[in-house]
Amino acid sequence: MQNYFFVVSQRIVRVLELAGGVMDEMASQSGPRKEIANNHCSEFMQLIKDIQFALREEIKSACEYRPFEKCDYVPRISNEICYKKLEYVIAQLDEMKQTMEGYRNAA
Amino acid sequence: MSLKPAASPARPGPIINRFQPKQTQPKSQFPKKKPNFFVQNHRLFPDRPPNISVQRRQPLEVPIHIPPEILIRTMDGNLKISIDKLPIKRLDAIEENGSERFPSDVDYDENRLNLIRRIDFGWAVEREDPSKKQKSEGTTTSKDSKTTNQKPGQWQSLVENLQLARQELSVIIDLINTVEANDAVTVAGMTRPKQLPNEILSDLAVSTATKLQCFRHLGKYFKQSATALEQQVAREARFYGALIRLQHNWKVKRHRFGASASGNKGFYIDLFYNTLNDTSASLRPSSMSTIPIEHDTAGMLAVNLPPNSCRSLRFEFLGSHFANNMRRAGETNTRALSEDSTETMKEHANDDECVRETHSLLREVHRAIFDEQVFELISCEACNSSLSVNLTGIQENYLSLSINQGASVSISLLPSSQDNKTDCGAGTNSSETETLPSELLDGSKFGEGKDNVKKLGFPNRISFEIYLQQLFNEYVFVKVKNKTTSSVRSQISGQQSKDNLNILDHFCMSLAHRIFSNKVLSELEYLVCRTPYVQLISHHTWHSRTSSWTLSMKVPQSILHAGSQIQSSGANNVKNVNSQFWTKVVVIDESISVQGEGNPNVVGLFNGKPEITSPINRYECDLADLPIILLQQVASQVIQWLHEEALSLGIKVNRDFLSLAFELDHGEIASLVAHVDPEDTIGCISWWLMIDDGLTEDLKLHPGLSIGESESRKFLGHLSLNVLYSTLLDFVNLCSC
Repeated sequence: MQNYFFVVSQRIVRVLELAGGVMDEMASQSGPRKEIANNHCSEFMQLIKDIQFALREEIKSACEYRPFEKCDYVPRISNEICYKKLEYVIAQLDEMKQTMEGYRNAA
Repeated sequence: MSLKPAASPARPGPIINRFQPKQTQPKSQFPKKKPNFFVQNHRLFPDRPPNISVQRRQPLEVPIHIPPEILIRTMDGNLKISIDKLPIKRLDAIEENGSERFPSDVDYDENRLNLIRRIDFGWAVEREDPSKKQKSEGTTTSKDSKTTNQKPGQWQSLVENLQLARQELSVIIDLINTVEANDAVTVAGMTRPKQLPNEILSDLAVSTATKLQCFRHLGKYFKQSATALEQQVAREARFYGALIRLQHNWKVKRHRFGASASGNKGFYIDLFYNTLNDTSASLRPSSMSTIPIEHDTAGMLAVNLPPNSCRSLRFEFLGSHFANNMRRAGETNTRALSEDSTETMKEHANDDECVRETHSLLREVHRAIFDEQVFELISCEACNSSLSVNLTGIQENYLSLSINQGASVSISLLPSSQDNKTDCGAGTNSSETETLPSELLDGSKFGEGKDNVKKLGFPNRISFEIYLQQLFNEYVFVKVKNKTTSSVRSQISGQQSKDNLNILDHFCMSLAHRIFSNKVLSELEYLVCRTPYVQLISHHTWHSRTSSWTLSMKVPQSILHAGSQIQSSGANNVKNVNSQFWTKVVVIDESISVQGEGNPNVVGLFNGKPEITSPINRYECDLADLPIILLQQVASQVIQWLHEEALSLGIKVNRDFLSLAFELDHGEIASLVAHVDPEDTIGCISWWLMIDDGLTEDLKLHPGLSIGESESRKFLGHLSLNVLYSTLLDFVNLCSC
């Protein structure tokens, strides 16, 4: 989803640049250069189409998206508890290892 | 009179009153009320004929819309009438306090006069002037001069001009009438005179230049917008990118209304999850449940929490607070708290780290909310009277309970940062240093404290803290979520007859059980370490209130081999001697039960069947009697084994509870007697040899009675199984039967 946001905004920026470019062309003293203006315009239209397509997809997926349907807050807490258990067990194992090494060193 | 346009150009601006008041004739032709309008003279095309056409719009259409400018052609020029849309009553001035000052009401006639005056007939008047001058020179002479100077054609033209003027006036009057009647007026058929080529070109040039200018302007505007948008997008992309990543894990919501004016857009994270519909304790969302998302100085997402706002559940044994303090120093603390993170976040240029830090901060808050909810539930349950929970103290965020087995615990809600402080010695929390048994505050040595704790059988407080949290999570939250009975519930319901399941009860009973079973275990360990041929095996019961161990005695392999060797040379005794004996110790809540193989089945003995099923003895006992009972059980198992071995070797033996009697030659009976003593530091089971030659009858074989060594009693010592077996073999030689 981040892609869409960024890509669409970049397209809009590009569209604006193209429009500015076309305007500059039209405003030039020697008259607009047809090929450049055409290229700009065709790119403009293509981008608009792409933007529209992307937005349509987003809207469709947004309509299907039911927010917070699978809320995982409770399993998340279970996870946190498991994490604590693991921490504790690791601490115990470390203690055991230390004890063993103590014996080994003493022996 | 001839109406000639004045030589002066158009006069935009204020009215010039050229109208002479004494000319009353036109006045009567004027309508009663007049709107304000200016009549200006444009002398553009002096030689064009006038072309006036005024068409009245249909009354059904909107009558208010009068085009602001109407071009009316007169014979000599174009009269351009600008209709002022202002209301009829004009403000003179408006003061600071808002009161308006209108011009004083004028008399009606006066008003009319004023309005009439506002019509600029300057051009007409000027034209009139020469004629008037001509008139004033001499009324008669002017006409005469005119008549004498000009031909009758001039009269003709004069008359024509007058007629045209009259026509114009009538048009104006008509216009005034229609305007007054609020009818719409539009000009139809306005024919613009054909432009000269140079005029066309100049017009075109001007419009082209304007358009070019517009284009340039637009182009610049677009490019500016593009760069501004790009910057804005880049800035927002950081924010929204981070927000989207957070949204994978957390509920991000937005205030629709009332978003703060600081441009915050009203995003917040909702950490509340209330699933308790049916229980009486309905949890209110805590103040921390909604966390606003803000922008930091760099435009990046930022979550700011007040410091020390996260609290965590803490479970402690009262009186071992000291030992716990020391142990706390070793705990790893991986929590990133807000007071640190706000500084570090500014330093981090990396967005990933920022998101990760926010994420861990949210985890912290989420966990803190859970701990608060758990504490609330605990408080509710503790206040209801229950079997094994005695509430001994209650304060804000603090509960202390006393449990069986002489333990006192406290459950409290502490700010997380306080965990980090390792106060050695002085207890800074006055609420927690309540009644401290003096024997536990021995000196300032860590080791002593730990030993004391261990001696009392207290388990590690962290494990029970986690257990407490897990119980509540599993029972309260997960159960409601899944709507199925969890294992905890079955555990709880299995132990209680009532329907209402009290988690705290279960927890306290588990704690009491654990303390008790630790004591049992220490006893068992003490026993086993002094009995070399007995092993202690722990079993996991998967139940928090049940523990079980097995004391197993295994006959060493060397003896088995020796036995089989002897066997193979002997008779066709198919023997299957037990080589492993076990005694099981099960602790449920706080009651101990011992099971073990006991005396062999008499019937089985006769049959000589290999599968000799020994009945299993079951005892209930308490902790004080446990060692004796276990030792007796083990000793009898040794005797049992010796008995079977002897039988397999063909020795005639008789078995008593703890003694094995061998028939020697000459009718003597030699008995191997086991003596159990839990307090014996060298070994718990020792052996005596007693010889009864039938003469001394008062010497009974009492296993527990040690009279002392004499001729008939010999103390053998703490023998291993090998030695016992070889003793048995010795008896083979002795009892040659």
